[in-house]
Amino acid sequence: MSVFRRIGLILGGLASGMIGLVMVLYPNDSKFMTVMLILATGLAIRGIKDIVFYFTMAKHMVGGKLILFQGVIVLDFAIFTASLSDIPKFYILLYLVGIHAFTGAVEVLRAMESKKFVEGPWKLKFFHGVVDFVMALSCLVFIRYTNTAVVIYGIGLVYSSVIRIIGAFRKTTFIMID
Amino acid sequence: MQEDFHYYATYCAAFLAGYSHEDSLVIAYSAQFVDHCSGTLLSRIKGPVAAATTQLQLELMDAETDIVGLQDITRIWSSFHFLPRDLHAVREKCSKRYLQKYRLICGPNGDLVVKTVELAKGRPLQSVGIAMHVLADTWAHANFAGTPSLVINNTNYVFYELIPEGEGYTERPITFRHKTSVPDDMENSIYTNSLYQRYENSIMNLGHGRAGHLPDYSFVRYRYLPAWGNYKEIVKDNPSDYMKAFTQMIYAMKYIRGDGDAFEKDTYDEEAVKAYRDRIRGIIEKRQLSASADWKAFGEELSGCEIPDYVMDRYFDEYMDSPAGEKEETFLGRFINGAVAHKGMVIDEIFRSGNRLAGVSKQKRSKGGRA
Repeated sequence: MSVFRRIGLILGGLASGMIGLVMVLYPNDSKFMTVMLILATGLAIRGIKDIVFYFTMAKHMVGGKLILFQGVIVLDFAIFTASLSDIPKFYILLYLVGIHAFTGAVEVLRAMESKKFVEGPWKLKFFHGVVDFVMALSCLVFIRYTNTAVVIYGIGLVYSSVIRIIGAFRKTTFIMID
Repeated sequence: MQEDFHYYATYCAAFLAGYSHEDSLVIAYSAQFVDHCSGTLLSRIKGPVAAATTQLQLELMDAETDIVGLQDITRIWSSFHFLPRDLHAVREKCSKRYLQKYRLICGPNGDLVVKTVELAKGRPLQSVGIAMHVLADTWAHANFAGTPSLVINNTNYVFYELIPEGEGYTERPITFRHKTSVPDDMENSIYTNSLYQRYENSIMNLGHGRAGHLPDYSFVRYRYLPAWGNYKEIVKDNPSDYMKAFTQMIYAMKYIRGDGDAFEKDTYDEEAVKAYRDRIRGIIEKRQLSASADWKAFGEELSGCEIPDYVMDRYFDEYMDSPAGEKEETFLGRFINGAVAHKGMVIDEIFRSGNRLAGVSKQKRSKGGRA
């Protein structure tokens, strides 16, 4: 990882962490709309990128279909998220429960798979999965509170910014080729 | 491949090809120096950075993977460690971007190996050493490309080591870990590899990082699924490949010394190793992380002379203390010239095949002809 990339990760992490904190401390409706917009746009860009990458490159790669499925699902989530702006927040919280529970399950399953074939990084994946389950559970517990969605998203941002900053300081294993 | 093959085995091959002890040492040192001649090292000795034949871990970590950065990486790794097998390989219904990467997959007996050996003929011994490094690596690094690419260089969980047992082999699943601080555990088939990175141009996806050091061990046989192979498994038989690399090096060096009119593909000097076949096979197949001691003992028996250990900075003072006009005649000056000529040739060939991943050869543009 280059120095610029590390600096970028730290700055990006700090910025998103601060936004997350503001959301947790001062949740309101306008922030809710912004969250939905950011979420939908980010997911759409990532989904489209994955789909384009599949058709131009990963189509010929062993296991490449996974990238296509991932792209389609993420794009689907993006479209669905964009359509959530004028429905009761109760349904949005159910949607967040679904997303976090699904992501948590995938992370835990991937961690278990990694544990079988690779030593090491499964622990971090497993931890991500557990955090996602906790978020899903929090949405269910606080389903009556109207600002729960913004707070949960804010906590998610703070968490990912911390992970991002830790990632910037991590040693990256690299096999030197002789 | 490691020091055991690039230095000691290359010495043995050179001696069997007819070179003297002293000349064989020059060739062996040059072959091994390809793994150390980085931009950082060249800056230290005030040599031209364009002659770099490898990149240090820190250089790679800091390398940008934009188009210019990718060309820098590809120029070095495709030229010296992953010589492409077929720059005109055909792959149906794929994008140009994919095809360009696919065509950089390394393998033995390609047109570029012939050009590499031909280029070394008539040049100083340092160029012969460079050519032997490149030739040997076409066997060890086969099926991986010298450019960062997830879709070419990735591997998955299908990885089994084939352990000789009786007349056949038993299969043992390979476990990978991401700890460079601990040595590979041969007894339990636990090896270190690079982390999976989903970004196509991540530096983690350069060469055989995802297969760890398995391609560098002469004893190992394994089967796996290469990312580009359309779900066809590859059985990599390193003992057989390393023997071919060794006998092809002897054949190539005999050609460079003047035997024969042309360097033919897929030709090996079996005759030269006839008396030593079992000994060489024994060294290659012995389960050990480094075969340096065995190759060294074999080389010393062959020549009757002591083979000094490889010392990277042996020729640094000579180069740095020489006046500017005389540097080219020093040991490292000749190595640098050989490296630039070889790199220029490979970049030029890649460019002429319509592939822009290695950029354009500066020599070609400035001098209007091949180096």
